[in-house]
Amino acid sequence: MIVMTMNTIQTSLRLLIPCLFITVIIVSCQQEIEDGEIVKPLTPARLDEDAGTWSMIVLTSPDQVPVAAPASVTSDAYKAELEAIKKAQQSLSSAQQRTIDFWSGGGVLRWNQIMRELVARYNLPPAPNDQGTYPTPDPENPFADPKFPFSNPPYAARAYSYVSVAQYEGMKAAWHYKYLYNRPAPYTVDASIKALVPKTTLPAYPSEDAVLSGVTVELLKLLFPASVEEITKHAADQRNAALWSGKASSSDIAAGLALGKSIAAIIIARASTDGMRNAIGTPAQWEALYDSARVHWTKAGVNGGTEVLWKSLEIPPRPPMLPFFGQVKGWLMTPQDFAANRPGPPPSSVSEKMKEEIEEVKRYSINATRNQIAIVHKWADGVGTYTPPGHWNDIAAEYVRDANYSEVRAARAMALLNMALHNAGVACWENKYYWMNPRPSQLDPSIKTWTGLPNFPAYGSGHSTFSSSAAGVLSYLFPVHADYFIMQADEAAISRLYGAIHYRADIEDGMTHGERIASFVVNFAKQDGAD
Amino acid sequence: MKLLYTVIIICLCLFTVRAQTLTDGLMMQKDNFCTGFLYTHDQWTQYWEGSLKRDNGNIGKVTTQSLVWAGNYGITNRLNVIAMVPYVRTKASQGTLAGMEGLQDLTVGVKYNFFTHLREGVSKFKLFAVAQLSTPLNDYTPDFLPLSIGMSSTNVAGRITTFYKHDKQGWFANASFGYTVRSNVQLDRPSYFTNDRIYFTNEVDMPNVFDAFISAGYLKNGLQAEVNFTGQNTLGGDDIRRQDMPFVSNRMNFSKVGVLVMYYLPALPELALRASGSYTVYGRNVGESTTLLAGVLYTFKFNNQ
Repeated sequence: MIVMTMNTIQTSLRLLIPCLFITVIIVSCQQEIEDGEIVKPLTPARLDEDAGTWSMIVLTSPDQVPVAAPASVTSDAYKAELEAIKKAQQSLSSAQQRTIDFWSGGGVLRWNQIMRELVARYNLPPAPNDQGTYPTPDPENPFADPKFPFSNPPYAARAYSYVSVAQYEGMKAAWHYKYLYNRPAPYTVDASIKALVPKTTLPAYPSEDAVLSGVTVELLKLLFPASVEEITKHAADQRNAALWSGKASSSDIAAGLALGKSIAAIIIARASTDGMRNAIGTPAQWEALYDSARVHWTKAGVNGGTEVLWKSLEIPPRPPMLPFFGQVKGWLMTPQDFAANRPGPPPSSVSEKMKEEIEEVKRYSINATRNQIAIVHKWADGVGTYTPPGHWNDIAAEYVRDANYSEVRAARAMALLNMALHNAGVACWENKYYWMNPRPSQLDPSIKTWTGLPNFPAYGSGHSTFSSSAAGVLSYLFPVHADYFIMQADEAAISRLYGAIHYRADIEDGMTHGERIASFVVNFAKQDGAD
Repeated sequence: MKLLYTVIIICLCLFTVRAQTLTDGLMMQKDNFCTGFLYTHDQWTQYWEGSLKRDNGNIGKVTTQSLVWAGNYGITNRLNVIAMVPYVRTKASQGTLAGMEGLQDLTVGVKYNFFTHLREGVSKFKLFAVAQLSTPLNDYTPDFLPLSIGMSSTNVAGRITTFYKHDKQGWFANASFGYTVRSNVQLDRPSYFTNDRIYFTNEVDMPNVFDAFISAGYLKNGLQAEVNFTGQNTLGGDDIRRQDMPFVSNRMNFSKVGVLVMYYLPALPELALRASGSYTVYGRNVGESTTLLAGVLYTFKFNNQ
C-alpha cells in the first residue's frame, strides 16, 4: 500500500518552506570573500619633483646608471610610438582593462602584495625524510621537494628589504632623469590619447612603471626562482598597463626597463656578498655555537658550564633556523652597531628569576582566555604565512595607500620599513644565537603552546624585535597614527607570552632592542632630503 | 513488535559530530522521546597531507574525545526532531601544541518519512527527507587544526534516505545522501594562504560537502547489528601543502567502514546500549582515524498506547 496522501504533501510543504528560508539565509551568508586590501587608482598628493636629490642607499648617485636623452616629442620615431598607443587603446579587451586597473593603484603597493603572496607560498619548512634528517632547499633546484626558498621570517625580512630598497633606488634614479629630460606623458603630448589612469604632470621618461618592473623582476627571480613565470608575467603586465593607459610610450618604457635592470644588477651584487649564503652553516658550526654561548655566559658573570642551552624540540630534531643570519649585512648599520645594541644576558636558566618566568608562561599555557588565543593567532604569522615582517608590510600598505604618496615616496616608506625589519631580523638572530636561551617548553616539558614553537632560541623574541622596529619607522612616517602602531606592536609582542612560547624577558628586551634598531633607519630618514 | 527505532550514532568524522539518526531509516514513534549520552574516542597517527599518507612527530597521535548529548522526539510517527550537543576535547601525544576543549556545535534536524511502501508482515520500504541545521555554541577557533574542536561554520544540510527491511527475516539496508552548505568562517588573523593564493581578509569561504551513508544488517527483537560505510567529499578547497598545517577549508574527504550494535535490554526495553566502531580506509587531508563509540539511551514514552 502506498501511503502518500494530500495531507502528507501539505505537511511536507509546511516543513519545506522554513527549511528553504534557512537555506536562503545561509547561502546569503556564504558570500564571495572580499579582499580587505583594496588598491585605488593612484592620484599622488604631490609629485616629489626633487626626489632625484634624496639620499641614495646602495647607489652612489642617482645617475650612476646612465640614461640617454630621449628623442624629441616632435620626432617621427616618437610620433610612431603615439600612434601605436592610440591603436592599442582602440581595441582594449576587458582583460587589458583589468590589467590597467590592477596596476593603477601603484606598482610599489602591488608588488608588495605580490611579494607577500610569494613569501606565504614558500614559507614551508622542509619535511623530514625517512632517515629522520631534513633536506636543505636548493637554489639550483628550486622546484624540487623541499622547494627553494624556505621563506622563514629572516629570509622574508631580507627579501622584503632588498626588493624595497631596489625599488626605492630605482625610483630616485627615475625621478632624477624624469626631471632632467622633462618629456611629458603621451596623454599630455597628444590630446587624442586617453588617460585611462588619473592624469598627472609627472614626466614620462623613463617610465617609473618600467623601472619598477625591471628592478623587481630581477630581484624576485633571485629570491623566488621557482615562481619565475608568474613574476615575469606580472612585470610584463605592469609595463603593458603603463603603455595602454596612455601614461608611457614604448621608448619611455624601454629606457625605464633598462634602468631598472641595471640598478637591479647593482643591488644583486650587494645581495650576493651580504653573508646570506653562509647563514645556514654546517653541523660543525652549529656545535661551535654552544661553546661560544657558554663563553658569552661566563663573560656575563654566569657559569656558562651549567647553563641549559637551547635545543630543537621538533621531532625529529631540526637544525636551527638560519643560525648565522646574525652575521648578514644590515642596512645603515655596521656589525659594531649590532654588537653595541645587543641586549642581555637573559635570566639564567638555573636562576630564581627564570623559575618565575617559567611559572608565568605556564599560567598562560593552561589558562589563556579565548581573547588571548585570538591575539596569539592574529600575530602567529607562522608556517604558510607572509611572516611577521610581511604582517607589518600589510599594515603599512594601507597607510601608504591612504597617504596618496607618489611612487617614489611610497617606495621610500616601504624601503625604510623593510630596512628596519631586516635589521631587526639580523639583530635578533645575532642575539638569539649569542645566548642560546632555551624555550619554556624545553625547561618545563609540561608547557603546551597555543601556536607552533619556533625552531630557534628564545631570547629575544623575534616578534617583539620586528614589531617595535616596524612601529618605530611607521610612527616616524605617520606620526598621527603612532599610538596605533605602538599598540599593535605591544600586542604582537605579548602574543608570544600568551602563546606560551616566550618568557616576559624575551619580549621586554626584544621590544627595546627593536626600538634601538629602528632609530638607525629613522635617523637616516630624517636627513635624507625627503621631509 | 514493539521495536523502538531510537537512534543515534555518532560518527566522529574527524571533527564533525554527526548523528546516524539523521542518516538512517528508523523513527521514534509519536510522543516518544529518546535521549542519552554517547562517548566517542577517535584517534589517528597517520594522516593524509593531500594524497600523501604520513605521520608527524610533532603531533604524534591525535586523540579526539567527545561526550554527546542527543535527543530524538517523535512529533508523529513520521516526523521526528533530533538534536545533539557535543563537548569535544582534543590532544596531541607528541610535540608542544596544546589540545583544546569545549562545547562544539548544536545540531537540530527534522526527519520526515514522506513515502512508505508496506507489505504487511513481510517487508517495508521507506523514503525520508531530512533537513538539518548546525551552528557553533561558542566562539572556539577553527584555525588550530588538527587540534581545533570543530570548523565553526553554520551549516544547513538536506538529505534523502531510503530504507528497506525484510520484516520476517530481520534484514535491512539503508542508504542516505546529504548535501551540506557551509557558511563562511572567521579567523583571528587578517590574512591566510590557500588555493595557491593569499587572501587579505579573515573570512574564509567553506566549500560545500556531499556525503553518503550506506548500511546493512539485522534488526529484530531489540537487536540492531549492522556494517556500514560513510563517505564524505568536500566539493572544493585546497590540499594541505607539503609540511604545512591543515586549514579549515581544506578538501577533506574520507571513506570509513564501520560496525554498529544496539541492544534493548529485555528486562528494561526503554534502555538501549549502543556501541560502534569505524575505521578510515581512504582519506584526503584528514586523519586515518579509528573511532569507537559507546552510549546509553533511554526512551520516555509519553503516550501509553
